[in-house]
Amino acid sequence: MLDVDHIDVYHGDLQALWKVSLQIGNGERVSLIGANGAGKTTIVESISGLLTPVDGSIRFHGVRIDRMPTHKIVELGICLVPEGKGIFPGMSVFENLELGAFIPESRKIKGKTLEFVYDLFPILQSRKNQISGTLSGGEQQMLAIGRALMSKPKLLMLDEPSLGLAPLIVKNIFRVIQQISESGVSILLVEQNVRIALGITQRAYIIENGRVGMHGNSQSLFNDEQVKSAYLGTSRG
Amino acid sequence: MTELLAQTFVNGINIGALYGLITVGLSLTLGVMKILNIAHGEFLMVGGYFAFWLFKLFNIDPFLSLPLVAIALFLLGGLFYRILLAGVARFHEEVKLKNSLLIGFGLFLIFPQIAITLWTADERAITPAYSGGSLPILNVRVAYVPFAGVIVAIVVILFLHLLLKKTYFGKAVRGTSENWKAAKLMGINVDRTYLITFALGVAMAGLAGVLVGLTQSITPDVGMSWTLKALIVVVLAGIGSVGGAFFAGLILGVVESVGAIFMGPYTVALGLLIFLLILMFRPQGLFGKS
Amino acid sequence: MDRWKQILITGGILALLALVPLTTTRTDLLTWFTFTLLYITLSQSWNIIGGYTGQQNLGHAAFFGLGALSSRYLWLSGIPLPIAFLLGALVAAFFALVIGFPAFRLRGIYFVIGTLVLAEILRIVVDTLLPRALVLPSKLLSTYSLVPRYYISLGIAFLTVAAVYAISRSRLGLGLMSIRENEDAAETLGVNTQIHKLVAFLISTFFAGLAGGIYAYYSSAVQPGYLFQPVWTFDAVIIVFVGGVGTILGPIIGSVFFVLLQRLLSLYLPGGMHLAVFGVLFIIVVLFLPGGLIELMSKLRNRILGGSRLN
Repeated sequence: MLDVDHIDVYHGDLQALWKVSLQIGNGERVSLIGANGAGKTTIVESISGLLTPVDGSIRFHGVRIDRMPTHKIVELGICLVPEGKGIFPGMSVFENLELGAFIPESRKIKGKTLEFVYDLFPILQSRKNQISGTLSGGEQQMLAIGRALMSKPKLLMLDEPSLGLAPLIVKNIFRVIQQISESGVSILLVEQNVRIALGITQRAYIIENGRVGMHGNSQSLFNDEQVKSAYLGTSRG
Repeated sequence: MTELLAQTFVNGINIGALYGLITVGLSLTLGVMKILNIAHGEFLMVGGYFAFWLFKLFNIDPFLSLPLVAIALFLLGGLFYRILLAGVARFHEEVKLKNSLLIGFGLFLIFPQIAITLWTADERAITPAYSGGSLPILNVRVAYVPFAGVIVAIVVILFLHLLLKKTYFGKAVRGTSENWKAAKLMGINVDRTYLITFALGVAMAGLAGVLVGLTQSITPDVGMSWTLKALIVVVLAGIGSVGGAFFAGLILGVVESVGAIFMGPYTVALGLLIFLLILMFRPQGLFGKS
Repeated sequence: MDRWKQILITGGILALLALVPLTTTRTDLLTWFTFTLLYITLSQSWNIIGGYTGQQNLGHAAFFGLGALSSRYLWLSGIPLPIAFLLGALVAAFFALVIGFPAFRLRGIYFVIGTLVLAEILRIVVDTLLPRALVLPSKLLSTYSLVPRYYISLGIAFLTVAAVYAISRSRLGLGLMSIRENEDAAETLGVNTQIHKLVAFLISTFFAGLAGGIYAYYSSAVQPGYLFQPVWTFDAVIIVFVGGVGTILGPIIGSVFFVLLQRLLSLYLPGGMHLAVFGVLFIIVVLFLPGGLIELMSKLRNRILGGSRLN
């Protein structure tokens, strides 16, 4: 459903991605792994429309999206949970979730989607009137994911959801991500924690210095010697 | 003495409401778009002259012309945003601020000259038949027109407050001001949000202009002094606080009014000095968050 | 171009300028030249803090006014002119020292608003204390001549430009420009931003004070409040930006352009219309030509020479 085809992306004058290509199929769980600064965030930001590739193309269900404004891409069904969560700290949990359903399609079925999200994350329901800036890190991450779900995405992208969170909470969050995937949403996961990333996804791409390196079946990558020594020796968890 | 104080207090409220109204527009633009519109007062002037024209040429009562002015200035603001600021809004924050400052500066040079050409440098006041009338309440003279001005200001600000709190658009505006990237990711058209926000701010400046034309007068250089007042109140109130801007405006109005009794010609200077001190030691203002 | 060529050209221009009063007695021409030189001084002085250091000081008029007022009083009470000028400039710089520390605690828009308000306060106080115009005593009025005023203007303008040139070539200048580009990064690189900003401020206000002195010496009658009007700040800012912010030639070209346009437009357009024209130019510069006229000239030069020069 998503086809990234040889994109070159710049941050200002500096090139960040060189001829990056990847594909995600319907209902798949795919992960991007790699060191800090390798370009993983740049890739998802480019898919989301926050950055525009100077070369190459990105297609979603055959439609070219690389020159579309972000809000149109969201309407097509791609939603990104940014690194650092990106919640609106001065607004309540409920207001954040409400805004997640901003696009007209989602606004109509807001009530049902909200129920779905509250089922996945009961704690959001119990704290629904709390100002989100005062939530704990884990709760904020849940809010960020829940909010993204409010737009009823077909493809959900998550950038470093485990960052700064305690192992138990991380486990919980990834269990929910699994559930989301089972409901039919495709997942693109950017994760520094390689063990978890490879454990939960079917395929993975290794990003090194702005280029796609090894890629393929997650299980085989997990067992690969090179991958093990480069990434699994120094990973957390 | 108490009579004098009471009268001064009422006068302070009258002018303070106007301060609040002119500030709310500026605060909105500054808080949401992180753009400082130095030409804000110029739009007040345009609104005032426009109402003056409607009154003089078509005999439209100034209070009835308020919605017309609001719409006209809203469109004007939108136009200016499209032409001048849309490009600037993409920049990184500090550059954006500097560039918007400079553009506003350019407008501040242009507007008064156009005004002089169209309306001459003479003072223009809007004086409908009921202008001088007042109602004595407990030995205090409450003039009709300024009082109505206070009501108008309250209504407009209340409207804005409800807009921001209750409507989807208003929440989108608040979200955008807290994190525009995340807002984009929610499917919010941030560019259009900015457009409408800016246009709203300009419309409110225009409304304030009508009230200034009714209670004082409009001259081609009235813009800068009102922009300055708005800047002061915005800092006092804390950026982005709509209700706070109104109350801070009232406070400034009353303090200036009462202070004038004791401080004479130095009142404004002293007020500015206090403002500077607040700027340095409590930059988030009286009502803002740290 | 190399050093010797630069010195020769500068010397040549100075020599030509020095000969002007000898070749003409038209007071309007002399006034025009004097004002251009005054604006060169004023705009270059702002260029130091606004152009090179990136701090948009909107209170510049305060220092112009302080320099003007002090040097006029000193001169009229008998102090020799050069000393009066110097002391006037020092008064301005001293005031800058006093408010410098607290002022620079403010960042971004707060600094802009703060400096604007500060100048306003000063203006109101001066206007209230000294509402009546200061007029030259009749003895000096009868012997009034534009020629010394022209030469003093020339001398001070030269000094100011030389100072800006020296700064741009020095370590101080490097530090200032790094602050302009990214203050936080500069700080982490070891640049003491507070001291740098303060030094730039002191130098800037010193020359603003000198500019004020020129005007005080020039005007036969002036209302003290007028010397503190924001228009002095705004003129300087316009000239710097339209000419080419943060360059040496920018303010010079900008000043010539400004005064020229002012004279031309006042012949064909009513009153203050030249301001409106400048407003439009200003916006064009901000949106399309951030380097000002200097950038425009450089682009034209490249176009004409067919891009054989390195930018």
